[in-house]
Amino acid sequence: MIGQPEAADAATGRWPFGCVDPVALQCERCKVSAIDPEIAGQLASDLPREDFVRILRTFEDDLGRLARMLEAAVAAGDQDGYRRAAHSLAGAAAAVGARRLEQVARVAMDHRSNADPRALAVQVRHEAGAALAELSALAADPPGSH
Amino acid sequence: MAGPAARVLIVEDTPTQAEVARALLRDLGHEIRIAETGGAALEIGLAWRPDAILMDLELPDFSGFETMRRLRAQGVEAAIIVVTVHGSVNHAVEAMREGAVDFIVKPFAKTRLTVTLENALEKRALATELREVKAQLSRDRFFSFIGASPAMQAVYRTIESVAASKANVFITGESGTGKELAADAVHRASPRRARPFVALNCGAIPRDLLESEIFGHVKGAFTGATDTRLGAAKLADGGTLFLDEIGEMPLEMQVKLLRFVQTGAFQPVGASRPEKVDVRIVSATNRDPWAEVEAGRFREDLYYRLYVVPLDLPPLRDRGPDALLIARHFLAAYAQEEGKRFRGFAREAEQALAAYGWPGNVRQLQNVVRNIVVLHDGERVERFMLPPMLLRGAAPRPPPAEPVPPEVTPQPTHGPAPAPPWPAEAALPWPDPAPVAQPPAAAAEPAPPPPLASPWASPWASPGASPGASPWAPPQEAEAFQPLAEIEKRYILAALDHVAQDVPRAAALLGINPSTIYRKLQAWRAQETSAPR
Repeated sequence: MIGQPEAADAATGRWPFGCVDPVALQCERCKVSAIDPEIAGQLASDLPREDFVRILRTFEDDLGRLARMLEAAVAAGDQDGYRRAAHSLAGAAAAVGARRLEQVARVAMDHRSNADPRALAVQVRHEAGAALAELSALAADPPGSH
Repeated sequence: MAGPAARVLIVEDTPTQAEVARALLRDLGHEIRIAETGGAALEIGLAWRPDAILMDLELPDFSGFETMRRLRAQGVEAAIIVVTVHGSVNHAVEAMREGAVDFIVKPFAKTRLTVTLENALEKRALATELREVKAQLSRDRFFSFIGASPAMQAVYRTIESVAASKANVFITGESGTGKELAADAVHRASPRRARPFVALNCGAIPRDLLESEIFGHVKGAFTGATDTRLGAAKLADGGTLFLDEIGEMPLEMQVKLLRFVQTGAFQPVGASRPEKVDVRIVSATNRDPWAEVEAGRFREDLYYRLYVVPLDLPPLRDRGPDALLIARHFLAAYAQEEGKRFRGFAREAEQALAAYGWPGNVRQLQNVVRNIVVLHDGERVERFMLPPMLLRGAAPRPPPAEPVPPEVTPQPTHGPAPAPPWPAEAALPWPDPAPVAQPPAAAAEPAPPPPLASPWASPWASPGASPGASPWAPPQEAEAFQPLAEIEKRYILAALDHVAQDVPRAAALLGINPSTIYRKLQAWRAQETSAPR
């Protein structure tokens, strides 16, 4: 049952530590959207479009910067830098409801996780792209616009 | 938006999070700034003084808790809302212990964030209001006033209420209660504070000069007017004109003042054209102004023009612990001025100060403290250092400041005063013990240094009176009572004799202002000159 949504902690919404690996997450992605429609959809409907777009641009900037920091930390073997970048990524992803990216980032920031940092860094890039694509689509066609 | 625009600081190191919070709060109309580190939060918090702070706990330099502690230590009183992530509710509890008013879990919906923020701002506004009200009710200083009593709080509130208006203020109160301080406070609390405050004592200016003092004169207007001179009304243009002892103003001058109050225009003595000024008038008297109107000494129409906002200053005896507060202030000031060591009052001395009635009010208290500081030294003011009149407990009432009746026989004011025509005991308006008499000393009370007790000697005390015995008994027959003005005059003259005609020292003995003695001497001389020979 590793990596299935039903296995997440009911109170925190987190996956049990050590039970998740990038492969499992990739499988999960087949079933789950990259963004949480409740959070991202709420933002898109609560805010004027220009505000939502500004947030997406900020998020995109954050992703590029933090993914680079994460990769650099992996290359340098800098565990602290790696976890700090993962923490910021998790925060940014949570703010816009990019839940799969947040999950990957949380695995990376957990010092008890035995996931391979290089694989997680690749996964971060992948999930970041997916989240941006879905968020952009949401910005173009926000809930209630029809 | 529920309330007025507030300053909100978002402390968040992830730009996306900060941007989301900013966007969600945009509709509220608050001014928003963002700090990405704890250090930046401290800098902005101190310089900008936000009303609320949304505080992330994970910051790059130091934690949100540490930032909160440092902000609080620096006196930043913003309502802090801790922003926490899933599963860190324990952090939120800790944050509340550290002084946060609320916490919010990320990611937050717009409604949740706005309600949390508005609640926190409202709570802070109420706390601030409560603190201000408490401070107002317990303040012990107000401009130049010292006093925390309820009676003075009412005075402070009245001054604050009337300050912004241009309405004329009429200050009443016994001599020494601080009427000029009140007038000054009205001016300094008003929008006119940057313009002049001109004070004029109507009782201290000869009546033929009063018009010129108030309205000025042109060169050659009268003998001695060698130059054009601006009057107080012109000098106070845009500011406040304080007319102290307005009850002393002659009736013919009251007519001119009435015209000025009605029109704002006046004509300098000898000038051909009127001038207009913008002046707020604050008047004061130690008499009952309406009684003066009824007695025909004050114009009723002028009374109504000036008596717009009455401000009655309480006598010191009605101000409870203010006497001690003021005494301590004067003690510190005079000890520094005189290079003495005094740091406070012994408890017995404080009890005596608190029990006394202070007929001369703050001015008398000021004189008493000054004399103590000049004549004694030590860490504390001991009971034996106090003037005997304070040690008797029962407080005298001040003699009313009535005009001297014309039938009073003028007395010479220079040279030795004649002996009182009745036994000294019967002449005393209030008793005074023998000069060096001390109350039975308590075992712990330090012995007084004998040479320093003499300034408090009563000029009217019977030389044969035994120490501690009451030298005064009320008259037994109606005929034995004397007019108060007569007694006042004899008492002042006796005080002057006692101090070799030194008016400031006599005034200190009597607990009145030297100007009061000068004025009375002037009046007695005038009566002497005009009395039929």
